[in-house]
Amino acid sequence: MTQVRPSRADALGATSTLGVALPFLALLVIGVTLPLFGGGYWGVIATRACVYWVLVSGLNLVVGFAGQIAIGWVALLTLGAYTTSVLAAGNVMPSLSPYLALAIAAVVGAIFGLIVGLPALRLRTFYFAITTLGFATIVTQVALAWQSVTGGGVGVAGPIFPKPFDSQWGFYYFCFGLAAICTWMTANIAASRFGRALTAIRDAEVAAEACGIAKPPLLALVFLFSGAVAAIAGGLFASLQSYITPDAFTLDLSVLFFIAILIGGRSSILGPLLGTILLTVLPEFAAPLVAWSTFLYAVLLLVIVLAMPGGIAELLDFKNRRPLESGRAIVPRPELLDRLLAAPADGGAGALTLEQVALAFGGVHAIDGLDLEIRSGQIHGLIGPNGSGKTTTLNVISGYYAQQSGAVRLNGAALPVLERHRRAHMRIARTFQTPRIVGSASVLQNVMIGGTIDGKCTFVESLLSLPRHRRDEVLLRDTAMLALSAVGLERLAPVRADRLQHSELRFTEIARALMLRPAFLLLDEPAAGLSAEEIGRLGALVVAIARAGTGVLLVEHHADLIFDICHHVTVLNLGKNLAAGTPADIRSHREVVNAYLGG
Amino acid sequence: MPISAADPLLDIAGLSSGYGKIGVLHGVNLTIGTGEVVALLGPNGAGKTTLLRAVSGLLPWSGSVRFGGRDLAGASPRDIVKAGLAPVVEGHRVFTQLAVLDNLLLAAYDLPRGERAARVEEALGLFPEIAAKRHERAAALSGGQQQILAVAQGLVRRPRLLMLDEPSAGLSPVLVDRVLVVVRRLRETGTAVLLVEQLIEKALALADRVYALARGAIVLEAGTGEADLPHRLEHAYLATAHVN
Amino acid sequence: MVESIVSTGLAIGCIYALIGITYNVMFSASRVFSFTAGTLGMLGGVLGSLFIGRLGLPVAVGFLLALAGGVLLGIVTEIVAVRPVLKSLDQHLYVLSTLALALMVQQFTAIEWGTEARPFPRLFDIARGGFDQEFWLPMLACLTVIVGLELLYRHTLIGRAFLAIAEDTYAARALGLPERSLRMASYALAGAIGALAGFAGGEMLLAFFGNGPMLTFYGFVPVALGGMGNNRGAVVAGLLLGLFQQTANFLVGGIFASVAVFTVFIIVLLARPEGLAGAAVQRRV
Repeated sequence: MTQVRPSRADALGATSTLGVALPFLALLVIGVTLPLFGGGYWGVIATRACVYWVLVSGLNLVVGFAGQIAIGWVALLTLGAYTTSVLAAGNVMPSLSPYLALAIAAVVGAIFGLIVGLPALRLRTFYFAITTLGFATIVTQVALAWQSVTGGGVGVAGPIFPKPFDSQWGFYYFCFGLAAICTWMTANIAASRFGRALTAIRDAEVAAEACGIAKPPLLALVFLFSGAVAAIAGGLFASLQSYITPDAFTLDLSVLFFIAILIGGRSSILGPLLGTILLTVLPEFAAPLVAWSTFLYAVLLLVIVLAMPGGIAELLDFKNRRPLESGRAIVPRPELLDRLLAAPADGGAGALTLEQVALAFGGVHAIDGLDLEIRSGQIHGLIGPNGSGKTTTLNVISGYYAQQSGAVRLNGAALPVLERHRRAHMRIARTFQTPRIVGSASVLQNVMIGGTIDGKCTFVESLLSLPRHRRDEVLLRDTAMLALSAVGLERLAPVRADRLQHSELRFTEIARALMLRPAFLLLDEPAAGLSAEEIGRLGALVVAIARAGTGVLLVEHHADLIFDICHHVTVLNLGKNLAAGTPADIRSHREVVNAYLGG
Repeated sequence: MPISAADPLLDIAGLSSGYGKIGVLHGVNLTIGTGEVVALLGPNGAGKTTLLRAVSGLLPWSGSVRFGGRDLAGASPRDIVKAGLAPVVEGHRVFTQLAVLDNLLLAAYDLPRGERAARVEEALGLFPEIAAKRHERAAALSGGQQQILAVAQGLVRRPRLLMLDEPSAGLSPVLVDRVLVVVRRLRETGTAVLLVEQLIEKALALADRVYALARGAIVLEAGTGEADLPHRLEHAYLATAHVN
Repeated sequence: MVESIVSTGLAIGCIYALIGITYNVMFSASRVFSFTAGTLGMLGGVLGSLFIGRLGLPVAVGFLLALAGGVLLGIVTEIVAVRPVLKSLDQHLYVLSTLALALMVQQFTAIEWGTEARPFPRLFDIARGGFDQEFWLPMLACLTVIVGLELLYRHTLIGRAFLAIAEDTYAARALGLPERSLRMASYALAGAIGALAGFAGGEMLLAFFGNGPMLTFYGFVPVALGGMGNNRGAVVAGLLLGLFQQTANFLVGGIFASVAVFTVFIIVLLARPEGLAGAAVQRRV
C-alpha cells in the first residue's frame, strides 16, 4: 500500500509548532523577568495588560474566531469586578476568601456571558452588536443604582489577595500566571476542532452546517468560557484599582478590548495578544496621548478595517508571503481513496431515493413530483435547463429546503426535513456551486473542518490539551492529508485558502466532503470554471469515489462530463422528470435535445 | 476588410470575464452592425448573461469592446447607457414598488426634463397593454407585462443597440410574440438588437445572424439564412470534448 | 402628571423616531446600518448650542449650520465608512468602520466640547410652561420630516430614484441610474435628518456628548421593532418607546426604567427578529 509520506505531515506539524511557539516563549521570558529591568510603574502597566488580556483572550474566541460583534463585553468585566469585591468585602454576607469570590464571579460571568451572547443565534449582526452595547449600559446603571450592594456612585473596595500576592510584584505574577494559562487554553482551542468549527461558522456557515457543525452548542460553550474569564479579569481589575466605581467601566474600555482583537487579526492568538499589549502601553508613552487614546484607537480601527482587515496577524504571516509555484496542476491520486473511504460497518449497498417530491416557491413549481434514486457505488447525473430545479433538488436532499409533499428516503427511512446539520451524521456530504471555504485558514485546516464530527474529545479536554484531544488532532490531520493527496492538492496543504485558484478550491471542497467518508456525495456543478483537462481529472476522481462504494449525485451543466461518467442520468425540465436512463438513451432522446435547445 | 464596409456598431474582441476567481468567458469575439438583429444562443452556463453584463459595464472584463467607435474600457453602466447601449436584464426586474410611469421616468433620468414625458409616451405607445396601466404599481402587473415594461424602459433612451437577455423567459407564447414583433419593428427604425434567447426557432426567425456560445467561447457564427443551421447548432451545443 | 408623561414621552419618542428614520434612510441606500446615526443626533444638539449659544449667531443661521454639519457627517460616513466596505467580500465590516467613525466624532466632541451637558439655547422667546417648545419642537420636526419624505418619494424623480435603489440596486445600475451619487445624496439627507432630530430635541436633551451612545441605542429600537427600512414602523415604534420609557420612569424610576426598556426590547427581538412589522428574510443557498 502506498505511504502518503507521513513524515511530511509530521514535519508540517513540527515546524509550524516551533514557529508558532517562539513569539509566545519570548513573551513568557520577558514577562517572567520583568521585575529585573522594569520599575514599579511599568509593573502596574504590565499587570494591567495581563488583566486585560485575560478578558481579551476569552473575547477573542467570541469576536475573532466566532465572528460575533460583541462590543459591550465590558459588562462582564463590571459584573466580575463587583461580584468579587462585594463577596470579598462582606457588605452583603460574611466575607469570603478572595479566591472563592473570584471563583464565584467566574460562575456568574459564565452565566451572564451566555445570556448576553445567545441572542447572537437569532439576531442579525448589527442588532446583536447594539444589544451588547445596551447590556453594557444597563449593567453600569444597575451598579450605580443598587447602592446597598454596590455602594452606588461611591463604589466599593477591591479584593486584596493574601500572601504572596499582596505585594505589587506578587500580584503581578498572579495576573501574569493567569494570563499565561488563558493564552495556553485559548491556543489549544484555536488548534482544535472547536476553533476550526468556529471559523467555519464565521466564514462559511452554510458549509459548516453541511459538515455537521451545530452552531448553538458551540457558541454556548464559547460564551460560557468567555464570560467566565472576563469576570475573573474583573476581579483582578478591581484588586488592581484597589477601589472601583461605576464610571471605571466606560464604553472606552469595551472599545479597547474589541479593537485589540481586530488590530490583532481574526483567528489568531498572538495578534490580539500583541494588540492588547500595544493598546495598554501606547498611552503611557506620551502624556497628551491619554486624553486622545480612545480617538486614536478608533482611527486605528478604521485604518485596519479599510486597509488591513487581517490585522497584525496578517503582517506576521510570513509563511504566506512566499509566492506559490505558477503553472500548478491538480493531479488526483484516486488509488488512495480506498484507504480513505473504508467500507462502512453497516454493510454496503444502499440507496437515497426521492419519491414524488414537490416544492413550490410562491406560484412557481420548483420541483413537481420528482422520482429519483441514487444507488451506492453509482454516479447519477442530474441535468436540465436553468430553472429546471436541479439545485433545488440537491438542496432538498441536503436539508436546506423542506419538500411540501413526497419523501426523501435513506435506505428506506425518511430523512428529517430541514435538519441540514444532521445530514453529515448520516454520511451525506455535499459541495456547493460557489466554493464555501474559510479564506483565512490553510487548505489543510479547511479540509480538517470536514472531519469535525468525528472528533471525540470534549471542549474541556481541548481547553486543557488532554491526551484525547491530541490523539484526535493527529488522526484528523493524517486523514485530511490523505484526503488532500487523494484529490491532488497535498503540496498546497499549508497555504492560506484564499490564495488558491478557483479550480483548486473546488477540489478542496471535495476533499473536505470526503472527510465524512460519505455514503452519498452530492456535487453541485463541480465542473463550472474548470479547464477541460481539470474536468477530465475531476471525472476520473468521481469515478474512483463511486467505485469505492459512495453513491454520487452529480448536478451539472457540462453535458460532456455527464455523458462520460454517469451510470444513470435524469433530465429535469420545469421541476419534472423529463427523461431518465443511461447516457446513451438520453443523448438520443428527442425531447431532451429540444429541452436543451429550447424548442 | 474592404474600405467601403461600415465599421461594426459593437465590436467585441478577445473578451474575458467572470465572477471573482471563476472565469466564465474566455476570449469571445462578436460584432454587431448598425441596425442588425443578432441572436446569441447557447446552453446554460455558457456565459450568455455574463457577456451581456460585461458589455453593459456591470462586470469587470478584459479584452476589447468598442461601441460606435468608442472604447468602453472602464466605462460605468451609466456612461454606457448614455452612449446608446441599453441592456434589458434577465428576470424582468422592474421596480415593483413604483408605478409603471415612474419606472419609465427613471429610465429617462439622464434626459433633459422637458423631453422625459415625451419619450415615456413614445415607449408606452409601443406597448398598449401596459400603457393602460400606467398609474398602477408595477407589482400589480403579471410577469409577462413586467417583462414588456422592462423592454419599454430600454427603449425610452432610443438606444442604438438594445440587448435583451432571455425576454421570453416566463412569458406565455402570445406575449413572447408581442415582444418579438416590437423587436422586428425596431430593426426598421435602425436600432440594432442583440437577442439572447432559449427559443431557438423564434430567435432564428427574427435575426439576421446568429452566434452560438458554449463553455465561454463562440463555437459558431452564421447567417440565419444558411442551410443546415439547426444541425450545426445541435452539434455545437452537445459536442463532446473527448470520447468516452 | 399624566399630561407630563404624555408630552415628554411623545416628544422624546419623536426624537427616537427621527433617529430611526436616519438609520432607515441610510439602510435603504446601502443595505447597511451605520453607528453614526446616534452621533448625528448628538451633533445636532452640540452644534446648535455652539453656533447659537456660544457664538451668538441668529437662530435660523445656527439651525442651517447645524444641519450642514449633519450633512457633512453623513457624506463622510458614506465615503469613508460605507463605500469602501460595500465592495469587500466580508459582509460585516461596515459595523466596524461605522463604529470607528462614530467613536472618532464622539471622542472629538468629548475633548473639544467637554464632557458635561451644556445648556441648549431657547429657540423661541416665549415663556416656559404648559405645552412648551421643548415638547412641540421635536414633534414639529418629526412631522416635517415625514411629510417631506413623502413629498420627496412620491413627487420628485430623485425621490423615486431613491426608492428604486432601495428596492433593486442591480436593476437600477443596469438602467443607468447614477447609483453612487444617489447613495451619497441619501446619506447627506440622512445626515440632515439626524442633525435635525438633535437640534429640535436640544432643549430637552441638552448639548451633551453622551447623547451619542444613548441615541444610537434608543434610535435603533424603532428600526428593530418597526422593521428595517420601514419609516412608518419607525415612527409608531418610536412614539410607543417614548411613552413606555416615560411611564416606566414614573413608575419605577430612571435606572430601572432603562432596564425595563432594554428587557422588553430584547424579548420582542428574540421573539420576532425581523421586527413587529418587518418581513422575514429568505435564506439563500
